[in-house]
Amino acid sequence: MAAWRALLREAWERSVVFTQFICFLNVFSNHVAEVHQCLGPSMLPTFNVSGDILLLEHLSSKFEKVRPGDVVMARSPVNPNLVVCKRVLGLEGDRVTVLPTSSRGHIKQVVVPKGHVWLQGDNAYNSTDSRHYGPIPYALIQGKVFYRIWPPEGWGPVQNQQP
Amino acid sequence: MMAAAWRALVREAWERSVVFTQFICFLNVFSNHVAEVHQCLGPSMLPTFNVSGDILLLEHVSSKFEKVRPGDVVMARSPVNPNLVVCKRVLGLEGDCVTVLPTSSRGHVKQVVVPKGHVWLQGDNAYNSTDSRHYGPVPYALIQGKVFYRIWPPEGWGPVLNQQP
Repeated sequence: MAAWRALLREAWERSVVFTQFICFLNVFSNHVAEVHQCLGPSMLPTFNVSGDILLLEHLSSKFEKVRPGDVVMARSPVNPNLVVCKRVLGLEGDRVTVLPTSSRGHIKQVVVPKGHVWLQGDNAYNSTDSRHYGPIPYALIQGKVFYRIWPPEGWGPVQNQQP
Repeated sequence: MMAAAWRALVREAWERSVVFTQFICFLNVFSNHVAEVHQCLGPSMLPTFNVSGDILLLEHVSSKFEKVRPGDVVMARSPVNPNLVVCKRVLGLEGDCVTVLPTSSRGHVKQVVVPKGHVWLQGDNAYNSTDSRHYGPVPYALIQGKVFYRIWPPEGWGPVLNQQP
């Protein structure tokens, strides 16, 4: 009986430590930095189709330090469960030059409204972005992508890139 | 002697700050994922909420599991100001056809179909509320949580009800 009680107490103490660790990890992921995967062809050649693993930091977006040319992850305005990975073309008030969605389209100029950003994938001809769903509210941005950790040959910082 | 007393003090201070940090972490996780307290200011939700600011309980579970329904009061980040959290009622979800009240007594009633992934927000005080009639339908992901209880002022203590227009 005493052995059971000792076992239970040890199990309880270990789960408390585990829960505290998970709590801390959760707070860190939400407010500082986290790991995320970016799938799909929309950010070629910057990121691979099969999915690169990226480091995302939340400080820039919380302190409004996101700049045009940064790669960000944001919640999609048409699907709240989807997180998309695109480059910021312009902030509120900027005039952005929008590439056509197909080789037959025309280049357009758009002024980004207040509180919004314009997103565009690096692979302009195969990317669903602001050209399809319009400028997105700044608050949908989850964080700025600053480093790539997979694949190993792609290890390194993710650069700001002006179009 | 002195050094030992200092060391004991520093160790106790460290242990207490560790416990404090763990508590703050837990509170933060709870606030983000379960429920939190928030204040709602302004005239846009009269007569449901007061102008001077009611203190409300907000739960995150409904919005994360897509259980928000038309008629619920939600708090959402404003699409025109990312630092502002607004408190409005959901008039319609994606695909719903909502009847939109005019913004002034001279305007007309309109019908709008809410696009995919968005919701239509409207304050209960339709003539003095900046909402989807001004900034359009709001992406669902901007919703922070559903308001379910009011805890201040004391005479207003009680659940916040779903209300169809």
